[in-house]
Amino acid sequence: MLIALAGGLAGTGPAWAQAPVQLLREALVVVEVPGTVPAWNTARPVALPDDWALSLPDQHGVLWYRLTLAPHLAAPGAAPGAAPGAVSGAAPNAEPGAALYGLYIERACSVMQVWLNGQLIDDGGHFTEPVTRNCHRPQLVAVPAALLKAEGNLLDLRIRGFALAEVSSRQRAGGLSMVEFGPYEQIAAHHERRLVYAIRLPEVMSGALLLMGSFMFVMGWFNRAQSYLAYFGALMVGWSLLLARLWSSNLPVDNRTAELALAALMGFITLAAVQFLMRYAGRRQRMLDIALPAQCLLMPATLLAAGGGRLFAVAGVWFVLLTVQGLAAAGFYLAESRRQRSRQLWPMAALLGTVGLSLAVESAAQMLPIDSRVVHVAQLLPALGFLVLGLRLVQQYGRAFQSVEQTKAELEVRIREATAQIERNFAQLSELKVEQVTERERKRIAADLHDDLGAKLLTIVHTSDNERISTLAREALEEMRLSVRGLTGKPVRLTDALGDWRAEVVSRLAQTGIQAEWSAPHEEDTPQTLSSRAYVQTTRILREAVSNIIKHSGASQCSVRCALESGDFQLVIQDNGNGIPMELDGRLDKGHGMASMKGRAKQLQGQCLVESGPGYGTVIRLTLPLERHTTMG
Amino acid sequence: MNNILLLEDLPEIRAWLKALVMQVFPGARITECSRVQDALLQVQSVRFDLALCDLGLPDGSGTDVVAKLRDVQPEAQSVVVTIHDDDEHLFPALQAGAYGYILKEQSRELITEQLHRISQGEPPLSPSIARKVIKYFASQNQPRANSMPEVSLTDRESEVLLRVAKGFTLPEIGVQLGLSRHTIADYVKQIYRKLNVSSRAEAALEAQRLGLFRR
Repeated sequence: MLIALAGGLAGTGPAWAQAPVQLLREALVVVEVPGTVPAWNTARPVALPDDWALSLPDQHGVLWYRLTLAPHLAAPGAAPGAAPGAVSGAAPNAEPGAALYGLYIERACSVMQVWLNGQLIDDGGHFTEPVTRNCHRPQLVAVPAALLKAEGNLLDLRIRGFALAEVSSRQRAGGLSMVEFGPYEQIAAHHERRLVYAIRLPEVMSGALLLMGSFMFVMGWFNRAQSYLAYFGALMVGWSLLLARLWSSNLPVDNRTAELALAALMGFITLAAVQFLMRYAGRRQRMLDIALPAQCLLMPATLLAAGGGRLFAVAGVWFVLLTVQGLAAAGFYLAESRRQRSRQLWPMAALLGTVGLSLAVESAAQMLPIDSRVVHVAQLLPALGFLVLGLRLVQQYGRAFQSVEQTKAELEVRIREATAQIERNFAQLSELKVEQVTERERKRIAADLHDDLGAKLLTIVHTSDNERISTLAREALEEMRLSVRGLTGKPVRLTDALGDWRAEVVSRLAQTGIQAEWSAPHEEDTPQTLSSRAYVQTTRILREAVSNIIKHSGASQCSVRCALESGDFQLVIQDNGNGIPMELDGRLDKGHGMASMKGRAKQLQGQCLVESGPGYGTVIRLTLPLERHTTMG
Repeated sequence: MNNILLLEDLPEIRAWLKALVMQVFPGARITECSRVQDALLQVQSVRFDLALCDLGLPDGSGTDVVAKLRDVQPEAQSVVVTIHDDDEHLFPALQAGAYGYILKEQSRELITEQLHRISQGEPPLSPSIARKVIKYFASQNQPRANSMPEVSLTDRESEVLLRVAKGFTLPEIGVQLGLSRHTIADYVKQIYRKLNVSSRAEAALEAQRLGLFRR
């Protein structure tokens, strides 16, 4: 359709030049006196187009125009035998007078009747209130050739119109444009082309704006944060109604009411536009919320009060006011947009410019005759602009909606994480609490043990005459200490354990004169820790072994080697003593605590091997898997 | 050693200790106390050379006596004699100014030897105590909001501490560092002294801070 439009606009010129169309520019005009036949003897000549605003400013009512038609002279430069505008492209030898002719009247404001040679051939609508409003509608009248005489055809046009003072726009003041007469086909094509611009497009735009406006209004209504959408929707609906003035011919209301409604509509549009611009810019003025609706009511009220004769003037004043308001709002918006460096600045500026241009053209059309095509384009462009902006706004809204959804999803994820964190913390806290309680218990038990059991054992140590009893009590005391140590549950660093063991073993052996040798891995290679149980048990095993060496082995040398091998902790205690006598192996095991050493090692999921022989000495190999007993670091 | 203070609540142990001390330091005058309050009173009036204090007493801890002694009689040597071998009990006593510690249940000979050593200026130092001291001074060396003249260990002292923590005996350390046993023992004494000084300063600061709050 757009291509057809473009072709139509472009093709109007050349097609026009080809068609043998008569342009009737002169007529006789006479005012109708109601109830009588027009007095043609008092008619005066006028040039068409005739604007009542110019020629007869106070004229309202009905006027008669008389034009003369000469169909056979209608083809300038055509051969007499040629048949101008044959309906179905018949041969040039077709009979003259057998064709259908057409009349094209671009503007007959506001309603027209057509008589040809006394016969009514076209009736535009109501001549009494409510008067049909065909001011914007190009008229096409079919003229059957049968009605045409050879010459001296009288074409009477009866026009009902309004004075300029009775309307708010010059386009609706009475008047008659140039009349074109020619073969029906060409005239109809011409008419069709003009109709598209004058009526069809506005109809389409009206519909589209109404739909989209309603949609946006609803969107904005339910989303108060973006109230500018509602106002923009209202603006679109208002503009849609404004465009309706072009194509709606038969309204059920009289002219005055229609004009008042139109004026109110302008007020409404200004309200919507100003509010939209203010809110889109992010500012909201409470004062406007009251002032603008008030203006909406005030405007038709003043027009009503002004009376029938001053409508145009008062309307003109109001339009200026409204335009100023609109311009102010537009200016404010652009300034604010620029201050915020919004990306909407240039698109909005373009739209506002278009609207401004359209308004300028409309205003100019009030005072100067402007080609109707320009006026049409000026009327349609803003509508297009609104549609485009509407789409943009919806897109923005959609994007904002999407980002909100995203934020919501992120928030949900974060809430989940926070909840998990809280649960973890709670678990940790409970663990800590348990640890605290057990720590307190341990201290209490330790204190009790030390105070009661320890004191008693100590007394035994120092008051017993029996050496053996003293020693036993002493060992019991050491055992008690070690057990208390094991109760802590706190892991011991392997390096620290090695240090403790070294000090104890070397000093004990040194005291008894046995040469001690100790080798262990470096601090850097032993980052592991031992559970307190493993530490305590290994300490016992080591003590037991060293005690045996001191008491029974008769060795002069003892070496202790600690190593880490494939995740296991290895302890090798070797002495060069007599070894454990073979035949007493079974009994010696028990007596020298070998069984207890093996048992302890097994408890720690390790093992303790003893190799011994006369002259060979004794080797005790303790292996402990570290993974099960350590925590890394 | 002319004046020796004995603080112990269990009568049998006290008697045994007394016998031991009389053997190690013949001719010394021994004052016996079984309660902290008594010992504190004694410290006020009598000049002591050596004090042997138990930690767990019915009316308090021997640490208080050690601290008091440090305050009023800095030249006196206080030795903690206790069952507890864990650093939780011993460390505060050392911080309060104890010269060394002896574990009660050890044999006569061992205790005698240790007493001798202490009196000759060789306080004992176990790996776990050494680790605790290292940790203590490490935390002291961190930058503090209240600028206090910090007592810190010399490099040598830190080295000695590290080696003790690793399990080397004092003679071994002497051999490793090429120093005499006596020098190493001096280092240990210094370490204890600094520990005491630092702890006291910290305590004083804390008291001052609390005092400020109360005001």
